[in-house]
Amino acid sequence: MEILQVVGIGLTGTILTVFLKESNKEVAVFVSLATGLVLFIFALSKIGDVLDVLQELARRAQINLFYLTTVLKIMGIAYLAEFGAQICKDTGEGAIATKIELAAKILVMVLALPIIMAILESVLRLLPS
Amino acid sequence: MNIELIFQIAGIGILTAIFHTILKQAGKEEYSFIATLAGVSIALMMVIQLLAELLDQVQGVFFL
Repeated sequence: MEILQVVGIGLTGTILTVFLKESNKEVAVFVSLATGLVLFIFALSKIGDVLDVLQELARRAQINLFYLTTVLKIMGIAYLAEFGAQICKDTGEGAIATKIELAAKILVMVLALPIIMAILESVLRLLPS
Repeated sequence: MNIELIFQIAGIGILTAIFHTILKQAGKEEYSFIATLAGVSIALMMVIQLLAELLDQVQGVFFL
């Protein structure tokens, strides 16, 4: 029952953060950050197993691994950006959070460009010239 | 999942808050600021190690 641990850690971190917010604002941010990091690292260890299965499936279906790694990279960027943006938002820095999200979107678009180009090329090949 | 780290950081926070109050009561404003700064730096060191671990793991899992 790992979900009990996760909920317990989250609640403990929240209570400590609320307790510290009154007396020591700076360290309260660190407590909430550390709680988030611990939970995130735990979730990541589980995601690793799922991704191994996905790779095995892709290998069996003989899909080009380049596409799978691109999707995984996009997922990683999204997770990290969401994490950073939420921390910024929690401390009241909404502007920085928006910039982080914008940068993440642009990076995702850069990663997706080769796939879009591949789709366009195959569409062009289908069209009669 | 090392929950000890969260408790350690919270403890640092409580201790620095107490130091801050005591030094302020004693009329040492500048020292109280330095005490808070030291506490924040120590907490930052601990969190940064955890952050580096997270980034390493994300790079490993998602091929970034």
